[in-house]
Amino acid sequence: MTAGLYRLISRIRGLFGRKEADAEFGLETEAHLQLLTERFMQRGLNERDAYFAARRQFGNTTLLRQSHRESRMLFSFPNLIQELRYSARMLFKSPGFSVIAALTLALGIGSTAAVFSLIQGVLLTPPPYQEPRQLMLLPSARTDGKKMDSPRGWPAQQWMEWSEKARSFQGIAAYQWTFNFLIRNDGSQSMQGMFVSRDYFRLLGLKTVLGRGFDDSDFGQGGHVKSILIGYEFWQRALGGDKEIVGKTVRISRWDSSPVVIGVMEPGVRFLPSPGNAKEPNYDVNATVDVWAPADPDPKTLKNPGWDVVGRLREGASPQRGQQELAALAAREASAEKDFEGFSPKLESLMDEMNQGARRILLPLLGASALVLLIACGNAAALLLVRGLQRQQEYAVRIAMGIGRMGLLRQVFTESLILAILGGASGVVLAILAVRLFKVIAAHAVPRLDGLTLGWGVLGWGVGLAIFAAFLAGAIPALRAYRLNPMDVLKDAGPKGTAGIGERRLLSSVTMLQTALTLALLVGAGLLIRTMVKIAQVPSGYSMSRILTMSVTEVQSRDQWMPFHRQALERVAAIPGVQYAAFAWGVPLTGNNWPVAIDIEGQPPPSRESDKIALPLRAATPDYFKLMGMELIDGREFRETDDGKAPDVAIVNEAFTRRFFPNRNAVGRKLWFGSRDKPGIQIVGEIANGRTDDLTQEPIPEVYFPLWQAQAFSKHLVVRTAADPRTVVPAVERALKSVDPTAAIEGVKTLEQIRDDSLASRTFAMHLLTGFSLVGSLLTLVGIYGVISLSVASRRRELAIRSAVGAQQDDIRRLIFTEGFRLIAGGVLAGIVLAVIVSRVLRSFLFGVQPDDPMTFLLVAAMFVGVGLLACWAPVRRAGKVNPLEALR
Amino acid sequence: MCAEKSEVLQGTLDMMILKTLHALGPLHGFGIARRIEQVSEDVLTLNEGTVYTSLLRLQQQGWIESEWGASENNRRARFYSITRQGRKQLTVETENWERISGVIGRVLRMEPEK
Repeated sequence: MTAGLYRLISRIRGLFGRKEADAEFGLETEAHLQLLTERFMQRGLNERDAYFAARRQFGNTTLLRQSHRESRMLFSFPNLIQELRYSARMLFKSPGFSVIAALTLALGIGSTAAVFSLIQGVLLTPPPYQEPRQLMLLPSARTDGKKMDSPRGWPAQQWMEWSEKARSFQGIAAYQWTFNFLIRNDGSQSMQGMFVSRDYFRLLGLKTVLGRGFDDSDFGQGGHVKSILIGYEFWQRALGGDKEIVGKTVRISRWDSSPVVIGVMEPGVRFLPSPGNAKEPNYDVNATVDVWAPADPDPKTLKNPGWDVVGRLREGASPQRGQQELAALAAREASAEKDFEGFSPKLESLMDEMNQGARRILLPLLGASALVLLIACGNAAALLLVRGLQRQQEYAVRIAMGIGRMGLLRQVFTESLILAILGGASGVVLAILAVRLFKVIAAHAVPRLDGLTLGWGVLGWGVGLAIFAAFLAGAIPALRAYRLNPMDVLKDAGPKGTAGIGERRLLSSVTMLQTALTLALLVGAGLLIRTMVKIAQVPSGYSMSRILTMSVTEVQSRDQWMPFHRQALERVAAIPGVQYAAFAWGVPLTGNNWPVAIDIEGQPPPSRESDKIALPLRAATPDYFKLMGMELIDGREFRETDDGKAPDVAIVNEAFTRRFFPNRNAVGRKLWFGSRDKPGIQIVGEIANGRTDDLTQEPIPEVYFPLWQAQAFSKHLVVRTAADPRTVVPAVERALKSVDPTAAIEGVKTLEQIRDDSLASRTFAMHLLTGFSLVGSLLTLVGIYGVISLSVASRRRELAIRSAVGAQQDDIRRLIFTEGFRLIAGGVLAGIVLAVIVSRVLRSFLFGVQPDDPMTFLLVAAMFVGVGLLACWAPVRRAGKVNPLEALR
Repeated sequence: MCAEKSEVLQGTLDMMILKTLHALGPLHGFGIARRIEQVSEDVLTLNEGTVYTSLLRLQQQGWIESEWGASENNRRARFYSITRQGRKQLTVETENWERISGVIGRVLRMEPEK
């Protein structure tokens, strides 16, 4: 082992100082020869004879020097350059072959490199925290193992005790998601931010690029935020990268103090998950954080479960130990305090949690692109093999002249390597274009795609994949060349474009394999296409067309709220082309699922905190249901008069009635927030179900409140227009600004766009898989065509004999056609088996279709057999035209 | 072809050179060739050039080292000497050889059973 290592090192060293070593070796052999000559002379030979005798005894010096040189070095450099030049010349001589082979490989390498770049940028680039692997999220789970209706945070009292007592953690910090607006006179700007506890930045290991981080003086301000940190991206985007920002005061909506910016955070810092807020429409865990503010637990609300908690495990402490320790602490706390009962922390690695979404979509795509690469390699291998057949003569002559098997092997691999490098280079260009395209079309499909930068990585992947492809594609032709028997070939004089039965079998199995891989891709694409069709057929329960939405927020004071919204609605509704206008909190598919614990008439009062019913609440102005086309089933809609002065009312949906009042009416019943002693909220209407949360999920129970009573801060303006809704955007914005120029107007989208965004990851997977399978199909069809053509060319003599002894054209055609059919059918059958196995990875993307959907399999298989047989058509025709006279020649 | 045969020979030559250097101390290639010629009593004829291939291989494995010096007739020559690792290797190989040749010897000496 060590000896082998020594040899390797000295061989690498041998690459340098070649001249000196050569000269020294020359001297050494010369001295040897001279001594030998002298010895023979002493025995009585004359000088001339002695010299020749010495030469004879010594052996061939040139050969020796050559082998000496080769074994001194890792590889022979001059030989390598010569081989490269030779291979390049050979490839240049047949440009058609070279271009096709390189392009084929480029498609495979490009697609795989593109997906690799995504994976590297999104999955493998660690977040900017120190030692992110140690960071553990501590979401809560029910101790009885049941699924929670909605996520819940932790009370400060609990996590503060943990941070004191948990031995397996270096520290524990808490945070809260927050959403607000930077108030500006020309339209305010939304800010997603975090309230963080004292230890947060130290625990995560984040640094500022400008100014300072929080210190103890920033905390303990009793709810008034005096200082904030802003995110690098927000600083660039909203504040123009103002270098003087530190020390400046900014105005923030809903805060009674105007805080000072004390620093700018390093770039690329994103949110930690706040599951409780995940259903807020403005919540985006994959976004970069805009603002941080210090927060201390309020001594008055220590028991409110409003905090999200993150911990850093101690060096060497296992997550299991941390889990046990915290579970024990939480259990003890729960036994002392009724409010804490029923919940236990459940450790989750931050990295796992972060990458979950991206992994779900990227890994199947990586698999798909790898299939394309394999298919491309198959084609390149077949091309090289056929070319190798045409060059058998040359190989045989070279072997006869003494190139050596290894030399020939090297030659074949050098050629496939050059092809692959060419393919890799074009593949990298393809990959760069593809990634650019992905960034545009997949912004909603792949999390954190905005942070992806194309570096040298893509080039590295390209080159690596090219080398991989070269070996894969070169292996079969190289083995063929290796086992070539020069005698046989030289006896069969004359170059030939034909192949023996052995080669044809080999090629057929390569093509069959390609067919199988292609079929797997096609099935994947087919399943996703069917999924999209099914989703499009789902009755959403509301109309999608001609509806414009935008989030509109009044950022001034509470008193301004009513007048602003009333006036804004009036003015927007008056715009020509607008049919209805409404404000709503809970527009479908915006991730709006604001869950609140609610008490419903007829339901048993919850004995424990974890048994409380939490439902997504929504709020809307009176025209909303009409605007959205949501049908009223029972009771009445909201009225303009359902405001702060009138009694509280609510409208529920069918799913709500079915769950809480089965076979009875919901209208007339009551709801309460908190205590039942209060007057409560009367249910006055019931609307039809709508899939407002997720098109692929059954409708969930919903409760709507009149916006004039609920007075939600964040909400959407929803407008139904007579024509294309985008045409009224400027008019609507003008109308809103005329009411209050500081109002924030963001996220202008049609409801159809919102729908598309909610399906983005499926759409992206579908597009990519469809693209991959088309490329794969094309390559495979070319492969099938090539194999059958080669077969016809190789069997000309046989076919001619057949027709000479009486076979009709049809018989000959049938013969070749059967060969093609067997090839394709074999591949398709193998592909079906493969597809059954691999289509499972798509399960989470499918809707209304099983991964082994027989319909899809049948359709795809039939289609591919059909198209594959088309590819056989030209060679089959050619076979039919074989002249019987050829048999006689 | 004859790949296996020459490989055995190669290994054997390597070992013979190691042993020669171990027994006689530093030698140049010519000296090694003479010694092998002398010991093998012309049973083993070889192209003397192959000695150098062996020497290079041994050197790459770190079992021998070399330096330039003056030969008997005051010519410049490269002298090879065995290293500590080389000695270790020689012990190992000698044991191996003896074991295997012992076995082969025993097998070849076996009398047909009567």
